[in-house]
Amino acid sequence: MLAGIDYFIVIAYIIGMLLLGLYFKKFVNSSEDYFLGGKSLPFWAIGMSIVVSDIGALDFVGVSGQAYRYGISVGNFDWVGSVPAMLLAAFIFIPYFWRGGMYTIPEYLGRRYNQKVRTIASVTWILFFALDLGVLFWASAVLLNVLMGWPIWISIVATAGVVGLYTYFGGITAVIMTDVVQFIIMFIGGFALVFLSLYEVGGWDNMVDKIATMGPEYRNHFDIIQPQDTKSPFPWTGILFGLTFVMANAYMIGNQSIVQRCLTAKNEWHAKASMIFGSALKMFIPILVLFPGLMAVVVHPGLEDGDQALPMMIKSILPPGLVGLMFAAFFAGLMSSVDSLLNSTATLFTKDIYEPFIKKGADDKHYLKVGQITTLVLLLIGVATSPISSDFPGIYVAIQTFMSYFQGPIFAILLLGIFWKRTTEWGGLSALVIGIGFAIYLNVFKEQFFTIEDPFLYISWWSFLLGFIINVVVSLLTKKHTEEQLKGLVFSSKILVENKKL
Amino acid sequence: MFNFDWLSGVSQETAKMIFLSLYALIGLLVLLLPTEYVYQGIAKEDRHWWNNLKLWSIAVLCILASIYNHF
Repeated sequence: MLAGIDYFIVIAYIIGMLLLGLYFKKFVNSSEDYFLGGKSLPFWAIGMSIVVSDIGALDFVGVSGQAYRYGISVGNFDWVGSVPAMLLAAFIFIPYFWRGGMYTIPEYLGRRYNQKVRTIASVTWILFFALDLGVLFWASAVLLNVLMGWPIWISIVATAGVVGLYTYFGGITAVIMTDVVQFIIMFIGGFALVFLSLYEVGGWDNMVDKIATMGPEYRNHFDIIQPQDTKSPFPWTGILFGLTFVMANAYMIGNQSIVQRCLTAKNEWHAKASMIFGSALKMFIPILVLFPGLMAVVVHPGLEDGDQALPMMIKSILPPGLVGLMFAAFFAGLMSSVDSLLNSTATLFTKDIYEPFIKKGADDKHYLKVGQITTLVLLLIGVATSPISSDFPGIYVAIQTFMSYFQGPIFAILLLGIFWKRTTEWGGLSALVIGIGFAIYLNVFKEQFFTIEDPFLYISWWSFLLGFIINVVVSLLTKKHTEEQLKGLVFSSKILVENKKL
Repeated sequence: MFNFDWLSGVSQETAKMIFLSLYALIGLLVLLLPTEYVYQGIAKEDRHWWNNLKLWSIAVLCILASIYNHF
């Protein structure tokens, strides 16, 4: 379905990304440059990078498909599922991490609780990221194969080669600055599709009227708040308790690949501003990924598989040239996700595993080299393991869902860790272990406990709540930390008062 | 209990008001932050209304609230 101009645009995009990424090699002289960009980056670049790394090629298709099936309520994930959490991160958590000179979230957990909590959290993220890499490669390549007729191994090798080279040499600076271009490409491609689709359906109001007449199953298609007894996975109770209170916060505050970007900011204001700017940009994401799915209901009614909505819209709406731009946007989504996984996992391994357990006190160049080699090894593992995904259909969704079960307990210990001085190392450790165990238990026996088809929002809430309670109870029963141990790790009004004196 | 059945009597309109109230509460908390704190990192002479992060946050929350109010 691609014309010559489309191939030209996609190939020019890939080569452009490689050259841009390699340009940043000259700024990497230390491990801080590699993992934290020398703490020199501006808020706008970080904000764009946060947004674009959060959305991959699979999300374009998946979210459009869900919008086709369930309507506008899917937008909750980028609206209420992002903005409040990003404001909380900007004003409370990020300043603490930035001032503390931290590299990783588990590093904070290690200082606040103990080394065991740090290691469990870090190993969990490393395993997830490493597994996700191969699965992401394969699932995205299959998608590009279906959409573009592009051979699977060309997609994988092209992405791995380009992303691997610039991430290996340029570190997080290359990751963030290429993300900026990827963000722009994604927005241009996405908005082109939205505007042309709107024209095709005769405008927004016309589309709403047409969908309203299509039958009772479309009755709630434009209700962002779904009733508690909806059969969709997005009842308002799940959106409020599971998404807004737990998963969104856990993702924006406890996810290494998000937070690490803010830690590269040139000063505290830029660190805070990057999150708030990112939250503003986030509000446009549903327009890009959700609206095409809604409009497909009018243009291509009755699709058996909602995930066909976006590909059908691209085929029927976009002219040559813009098709190429849209596929460049898909590649942008894939590349930004892969480079984030690579750099964050290399940081977690080097700082939380290698430095404390394998070689303490080595010189900085050594850790820089370890970070680069880890990036390379991860990339090779990702490429080598990617075909395994083809033997396990649904593994991508399974891994994402599985990770969502860790979010509740991790957020419980982060929240209590920063807001409650009385929280102890044993409280944190037991909350993490028991909370994760409970989430797994609820998942295994979900048919017995839940009535909706995919209760991941409810599971994250209940595992958070149990983790929270366990943390409080065990902390009250164990020896509290000294003021000296807690210095700079727990939120207090002093941080605000002290600033007044500056 | 796990399915929040005890909230089944809450209408969609009331639920929407809960979300809008949440945004208003967050906005209020943001406004309560000391101005010095939100400017931290910028030299005193470079502080202007357009780099006041409280205003940025309130703008984002207003847009978010208008989306939820509309849909």
